[in-house]
Amino acid sequence: MICLFSKAQVKKYNYSEESRVYQQVADITISTNSDGIKKLSDLYSESPLIIAFVYTRCIGICNPFLAELSQNISLSGTDAKQHYKVLVLSFDTSDRVEDMNKLAARFNFENNKHWIFATTQQADILNKSVGFNPIWDGSRMQFDHEALLVGINQYGYVVKKLTGLRNPDDISLLLRELNGVFVASYQLPGNNSLLSCFTYNPATGERKISLGLLLLIAPFVFSLVIVFIMAIIMNRRLKNTAVPHHYAGT
Amino acid sequence: MNTHSTILLLFLSLAFIIAVVFITVYRSSKRKEETGGMINVNKKRLTFLLVLASLAIILLSVTLPDSPYYLYANETPSKVVFVGAQQFNFNMAYQAIDPKKPITEAIELPANKMVEFRVTSFDVNHDFAIYNDKAELIAQTQAMPGYVNMLRWKFYKPGTYNILCLEFCGVAHAVMRASFTVN
Amino acid sequence: MNNILKLKKITSAWILAILLLFVLAISFGITMRFNQANDIKLSPVTFYSLMTTHGVTMVGIWVVAGMMAVNYLLSRYVKVSNGLNLFAMALTVIGVVMLWLTTFVGHYHTGWTFLYPLPFYTAWEKWATPVFLLSLGVLGIGWFVWSVGMLWQILKRYSLPQAFAWQHFKKGHTVETPPFILITTVTLVGVIACLLTAVLLLILYFAEYFSKGTFTNDALLMKNLTYFFGHTIINEALYLGVATLYELLPEVSGRPKFKMTWYVAVAWNCTLLFVLTAFFHHLYMDFAQPQSFQIIGQVASYFASLPSASVTAFSVIVLIYKNPVKWSLTNLLFVVGVAGWLIGGIGAVIDATISNNFVLHNTLWVPAHFHTYNAMGNVLFSLAFFNWAAKDFQGIASPLRYDKTKIFWLMVGGFGFVLMFYIGGAYSIPRRYAEYPNEFTNAKLLASAGAWFAIIYLWAIIVILFNIVMKCIKMFSVSE
Repeated sequence: MICLFSKAQVKKYNYSEESRVYQQVADITISTNSDGIKKLSDLYSESPLIIAFVYTRCIGICNPFLAELSQNISLSGTDAKQHYKVLVLSFDTSDRVEDMNKLAARFNFENNKHWIFATTQQADILNKSVGFNPIWDGSRMQFDHEALLVGINQYGYVVKKLTGLRNPDDISLLLRELNGVFVASYQLPGNNSLLSCFTYNPATGERKISLGLLLLIAPFVFSLVIVFIMAIIMNRRLKNTAVPHHYAGT
Repeated sequence: MNTHSTILLLFLSLAFIIAVVFITVYRSSKRKEETGGMINVNKKRLTFLLVLASLAIILLSVTLPDSPYYLYANETPSKVVFVGAQQFNFNMAYQAIDPKKPITEAIELPANKMVEFRVTSFDVNHDFAIYNDKAELIAQTQAMPGYVNMLRWKFYKPGTYNILCLEFCGVAHAVMRASFTVN
Repeated sequence: MNNILKLKKITSAWILAILLLFVLAISFGITMRFNQANDIKLSPVTFYSLMTTHGVTMVGIWVVAGMMAVNYLLSRYVKVSNGLNLFAMALTVIGVVMLWLTTFVGHYHTGWTFLYPLPFYTAWEKWATPVFLLSLGVLGIGWFVWSVGMLWQILKRYSLPQAFAWQHFKKGHTVETPPFILITTVTLVGVIACLLTAVLLLILYFAEYFSKGTFTNDALLMKNLTYFFGHTIINEALYLGVATLYELLPEVSGRPKFKMTWYVAVAWNCTLLFVLTAFFHHLYMDFAQPQSFQIIGQVASYFASLPSASVTAFSVIVLIYKNPVKWSLTNLLFVVGVAGWLIGGIGAVIDATISNNFVLHNTLWVPAHFHTYNAMGNVLFSLAFFNWAAKDFQGIASPLRYDKTKIFWLMVGGFGFVLMFYIGGAYSIPRRYAEYPNEFTNAKLLASAGAWFAIIYLWAIIVILFNIVMKCIKMFSVSE
């Protein structure tokens, strides 16, 4: 029966999130509606950048991904002090600036200075430099791709990557790290988080107690409960007996 | 004198003081005549506990900021080394390591520049401990499955550094090792 | 047979069983040290199986030694249940037999800390993992029921505030709680919390074991639970020893009994809380643990030692200093034990400082400090109790002949043995290595010296034991 516990059983290690970390991002040219043609370095040298990879024809994860991201950023308690810009970049070279504008309008981001919607003809170069591998599926006319956020610091280095739909805490941790805060550890995605001890809440610098930590406290609380219950049961008997004093005698 | 010798010396001095106190107390108890014991016990006890408590507070405030979680927090690492520990070797590479196809590269790190080790485990708990060429333990972090621990360090002395496993991980625990060079 | 005679017989049986296991477990330890010295050659599997057996056995016997001593002395104040005592003994014997089967027959070798997920990476007989976990369950259930039973009896006689000596926080109380009752109450609550944690840990292990891969545990949570159980149970075992010291030391020294005072009451109530968070210091090198917990770990480790150790040490010194003391083997063992506890405590506090732990964690410094407060602390408290109990059984006082010589050699062996560990720690030599890499040039010499010092310690122990064992064996032929 123990042979069930092969190595595959231990938590899945999602190493793709760690590829290209602390590598320089390719300084590609992008087209935005508001500022025209720009270099990527023009953006990240002003403030740390979160790149969200989408394309407008996407009928899959792109829309929920953006909706989730905008909600999570507002939930993460980010204040004006934290520098960041979100670059929603199409990796589909057939997307035009107008298509991206429509996307921006759908999420009410046309006039939000934190959000930039752009296209590029150099998606391949950028993808390679951040370790993003979308695959074109001709039969479905769709890209097979993961939802990816890449955090770029002011010097153009990949600081952190997040794959899949993530919670506000993860987004907040990304924002904090982009702003130069060192967090000495992180949990790998794909874990059974039901029973893990803590979930990060980097906005307050603390971690939220999850079920696991309650399990850690439970035995002590339970032992106190046992003592109290016994004391209550005994209390009635005690009232009828003499007060103990020193030796009971044997 | 290195950190380890200082620690040993501190410990031996304190142990010696305790021994002297107990021997003195023991010898004082063998007099035939009643000498009345310690006087002003309450005052002495209070002083004793206050001194210990203040000592504890001072030591806490001095030592806590030196904890490894705050090392080089404001700097950007010049190199990142990914470490995937598994029974019974350390996979080390400049890129993230796929546990299904573990790779290991020869690691060379720059001297006097901050490097970051991103340490995890593919199976059981291990410990990634860096030893210098004099076999002195200089830095370490645990390798735990499901978590990545980031150890930041600056090597000032060029040479070969050894990695030993410091968390019991099975039968070949004592021979689980790796090394890298600093230029 | 009356209850007291029955209790004496059960206690004699405990003492004999504990001492037998103690001598065997020391021998395993010495064998390991000689192997590290290359004086003998064991396979790594044998070495680590011995290491696991040594660890679990030592922890187990000194927990039960404290429990049965407290149980015996508790009979002075309250009625204790001999049935529960026997029940705990039966389960302990079953548990130990199962444990030794897994290590000696099944070659199970995860170390006594069995850090998740190592037990599932079977490099031993496949049945050994569930049997090992089950054996811990058997021990845990026996001790849990026993602890709850003792607390039940205490609370039958003392109200809850009295058991925790809360009335001593202010002046003008009429009821005095004996220090022994307070320390026992506080410690038993801790023991129960530890054992419940162990149960939880086992449930999580078995949940994964039977889930066929659908449920996996979180390594960080499992480590926290493991050390909450492992660290705290050892601390509580020591406090059980301290409880016997408070009860017996003044008595055998011909000094007035320790009085409960407000600061003793405060100290032990604080200990109840501090000791429960100090275990965080085992996870300092797990950067995944929240930093607030790491800081709590260091603060609690510093302050856990203040009330219990400092107050006890001060009280013992006041009891003895410039007072006429009747010295015997019993109180010599108690006093040397307090010194050993303090010295080990210094080693522990040094290691519980995060910035030191960075270069000491899992080096020989760790076995150095815990062997000091166990082998030269808690073990001596228990031996003192054994020696006192053996006399108490039959009312025969043995003369103080050679007692100081025995103690002297015990100290030479014990402190010499741990000093080799401390020096090893200062040389960064890793712990739990079956053989040492060549770069640790002093490691083999230190291991060899450590083993020889341990032989002196073992010899002194055997000499001290001889009288105790003879008296305990005689107890079985005593009838009313």
